[in-house]
Parts: sequence; structure tokens; C-alpha cells
Amino acid sequence: MASVSKRYPVRARDFLHAGEASIQIQAFLKAMGLDAGLIRRIAICSYEAEMNAVIHGGDGELEMTLADEWVTLEVRDAGPGIADIELAMQPGYSTADETAREMGFGAGMGLPNMKANADELRLESAPGRGTRALMVFRREAAGGGAP
Amino acid sequence: MSPNTRETSYVRFHAERCQGCAACLKVCPTKAIRIRGRKSLCLVDRCIGCGACIGACAAGAITPAVHPVSGVGEGHTAIALVSPVLYAQFPNVMPRDVLKGLRRLGFHHTVDSSIFLEMFQFAAAEFIRRNRTAAEAPWPLISPVCPAVVRLIAFKFPQLLAHVLPVLRPVALMAREVRETLLPQAAARGRPVVLYYINPCPTMGASRTPPGPFPVPLTEVSLGINELYPALRQAVEEAVAEAEPFGREGFEFETCTTGNASLVAMSGGEIASMRIEASLAVSGMQETIAYLSKIEMGLFRDVEYFELRTCREGCLGGALNAVDKYLAKSNIHRMIHIYGLGRRIPRQSILRLYDRGRFRPEQSPTALAERFADRKPPLRLEQAAEIERLLGELPGYGCGACGAPDCPTFAEDVVRGLAERSECVWLAPGPRAARNRRGGKR
Repeated sequence: MASVSKRYPVRARDFLHAGEASIQIQAFLKAMGLDAGLIRRIAICSYEAEMNAVIHGGDGELEMTLADEWVTLEVRDAGPGIADIELAMQPGYSTADETAREMGFGAGMGLPNMKANADELRLESAPGRGTRALMVFRREAAGGGAP
Repeated sequence: MSPNTRETSYVRFHAERCQGCAACLKVCPTKAIRIRGRKSLCLVDRCIGCGACIGACAAGAITPAVHPVSGVGEGHTAIALVSPVLYAQFPNVMPRDVLKGLRRLGFHHTVDSSIFLEMFQFAAAEFIRRNRTAAEAPWPLISPVCPAVVRLIAFKFPQLLAHVLPVLRPVALMAREVRETLLPQAAARGRPVVLYYINPCPTMGASRTPPGPFPVPLTEVSLGINELYPALRQAVEEAVAEAEPFGREGFEFETCTTGNASLVAMSGGEIASMRIEASLAVSGMQETIAYLSKIEMGLFRDVEYFELRTCREGCLGGALNAVDKYLAKSNIHRMIHIYGLGRRIPRQSILRLYDRGRFRPEQSPTALAERFADRKPPLRLEQAAEIERLLGELPGYGCGACGAPDCPTFAEDVVRGLAERSECVWLAPGPRAARNRRGGKR
């Protein structure tokens, strides 16, 4: 089955360029004529994932794959990893440092937002081994889902 | 796409002057321009009239589709609608003297926009105040003032049209007031009326007939500040030298500008006196696009109002100004020192107008969506895969030699059948291309 992948580098602590990969993904999906509500959900997730890598992670990569029936987002970073995934998923819980918080990040809503907007979210992480987040969006479910 | 035109509603391309430098390709936010046979061509149905290409073209090959400055006041009543940007082009000249200069050029009335700007700012702030606690208003709201921003939204971010503040733009308020004031006089005199908008950008186009009945022929035309400037400069100098009195036969709102209005000509000036705490001002095309993308991603929900301008530094940076934007800005700072920033219209009188619905726009956002939407058919998955494959062969320099703004756009054009592979100097057969490929990027 046909699919197209796009990869974008994510640089740790680069707040100035953070979000650019998500902007490009958003533009690409529009050119592909995807449902606007679905694009919005994907863009929200992609932005949150990108920001997580920028705030907490080491350098990493964001990969988007578009196929006939689904879209996936995969973010891999070489950061410190997550010790307690269940705790990290709780709204409001954050380990962001003072610098990130001063810039308006670190509200502890990143992972919960991703969970709410993706049809499926899988997290693989352990301390010292980086983090891999995989999100799946079903194209036929367009228009439904979280706000 | 219709690739054979050299004219849109907003800009004209003069092939004989084009040097093929590709500067215009790079700045067009909708990627509407291609160079064919070394001459610029515009793909007309993608032009939103922002004027970025005019500002980028050093060869003068792209000009605005504005009205020519000739015959002002001949056989018609000529009314100049003046933006505060005009005053900023004249250092050490009082705005009133600029208006006197306009009258010397043949304009019968000169209408200053400052009270309409003030009314708009009040109505905008009032709308936000009243809807602050209501859930319906889509936050953040986006300023309707810059037409290029609103069209950019219709083209690239149609989902955000609902965020555009539903309040009449200052220039629309001004035009309506003039039409209503003129109505009895115009009928009595029987002469045609022409409203001249003196504009810093080409967003209005050349001319249009306003909607609604009017007893005599009424047209609205757009004049570029830079076209008018040489003659106006001379007329202003004469007016200052003769210290001529300001005619008082005009409308009551013909009186002159305020510090607040001058401020609106530059980025941040619209929100500066609106007293909305959670507001942001952004200027520049790339910056505007980046912020719109993020607003669409659901960021900035805690911001109530965005002032966006596609021109850097705001309207002072418009492509049709006569004076450099930074010099103009210093003139504005001087005017603010002279005039201060107080309000001129009593709150109660604007509130009455607001409650009578006088600030509600006539046009719905859907009409804009229909006119400026991106009409390119969506790509199929196989096409997207083909584009990716082609991108792997392309150098990614974005040199513009093929006539497209960048490699991804070229690849898309090839896949859509609008360009040939061989138009890329990298892919074209021949010794140079072979050499290029040997020392290639990937």
C-alpha cells in the first residue's frame, strides 16, 4: 500500500525554531486535502511532541507517515527518558525546568493533549535510553475525536 | 492554475523589464509566481494582492494595479480618503498641511481617518469585553484591518476565518460615513463622485463600484502614495510657504489627525490604545504565517486579540510608500510627541452606534473563502510519493533557475504536469548537469 514519509530533525533546547516541523507537516497535509479537523488534531500532537523533545529531550527526529487509511507521527529523542510513564501522563505533571517555564512551556499538558487528540498513543521510554512516542490517526475517523 | 497571464486584480507584470532574478518568486506567500522564458508570469487565481512581489522587484517589472494619478477633480467631485501612513511620509510637516496640499492637487474634500480608527478600536475592544465570558467567540480573535491577512487566512487557513473579528474595518466605516454625508449634496449637484483611497499597499486593486444605491455615479479608486508623492510634496511645500488657511466648508470629520491614529500606521499601534491585556502584534509575512499556523494548532487560546500585518513594521512597510519605513516611523514618533495619545470621541456616542449594529460587517467570511480559497486540487498519495522521489534528485538549493520558487514547488509542478524535469539545471541533460550530479549533494 502506498505511503509517504517525511522526516524533520528536532534540536534540544532550540526554542526559537521549535514548532517549524509541525508547521510544515500541517502545510503538507493541507496540500494532500485531508480533513481540516483531522489536520488540526495531528498538528496539535505534532507540536506537543516536538516541544517535548525540545524541552526535555536530547536531539531527535520527527517522522510523519501518510497512508491511505492512516497517518502516524513518530518522535524519537536521545533525552533523559521518562522514569514513570503513568505519572508523566497525568495532566499538570511536569519536569520542565525554570527556563522552559519562563517561556510559557511546562504546563504538564503535553502528553495528555497528545493522548486526547491521537487515536492511539504509544510511549516507549526508560531513564537514560531516550523516548519514542508513536501516534496513530485514522483517516476515516476524520471530524470525530477530541476538540 | 492559468499560467498565461501577466495581470491580476492587484499587480501587473512587465515582461520587458524583468531580469529573471527570481526575487519575486521567493517572497510570494501563495507561491503564485513562476518565471517562464526569463519573464515573470503570475498564476492569477492564487494572487491575494499583498504586494510583497512589488517590494521585492528591483527592476520595476512588477507594478501595482492602482489608478493613474491624473485628471483628479475633473468633471467629478474628488474626495481623498487619507490613511495616517500618508502623514508619516512628510517629516516636519503638520498633517493639516498635507491635506492642504491634496486640495491644491484638485481634491475637493480630504477625509482624515483618525476618528474612524478610534471608533474601530473602541468597537473591537467592546466586542471583546462583551464576549469575554461567552464561549461562542473563537479565541484568539484576529484583526480584520489588514486585507492581505484576511485573504491569506481565506487561502491558507480557512478554518481560522471564524476568528476574524466581526467588526467593520476603519476604512469601511470611513467610506460609509462619507457616502452618507455626501448623499444629499451629490443629488443636488448632480456630478459624479469619485472616492480616492490614498493607499500604502495594492490590496484594494485599481477601482471598484461600491454596493448600494447612490443618486449619481460613484466609483472608488485606489491611488498609491508613491505615485502621488512627487506632485503632493511640491503642493505641500507651496501650501506651507503661503500659510494658506484651511477651508472650513468641509465635513465636520475633516479635521486633522491624532497621535493615536498615527500610531496605527505602525505595527502594534492598533492594539496599543485598545487596552486589551492579552493581545499581541505581529508584522511581516513569514511571521504572520508562522503565527497563523500556531493559532490553527490551538496555541494562543489565552490571547484575546491578534493584530497581524503582512508588511514588516505594519502599514509603513507597505510596498507603495514613498519614504523608507524606519524614517517614516521616526516621523510618527514625533507626531505622537506633538499630539499625545488621548481619545477624541466620547464613549457614550460610540456605544450608541455599537448597539445599533453600525459596526457589523456586511460581508460574511464564507464569501471571502469562496473568492480567495486555494483552488489547487489536492494531491493523491502516489503524486506525493512521486514528489518525494523527485525531491531526492533535486539539490534543494532553491536557486529559482527553473522558474519555480523552490525545489518542493518545482517537484510539485512537474508531478502536476505544469513543468518539465529538464527545466531544472541540475536534472537537465548535458555536461554541466552531469558535473553537478557527480559532485552532488546526496
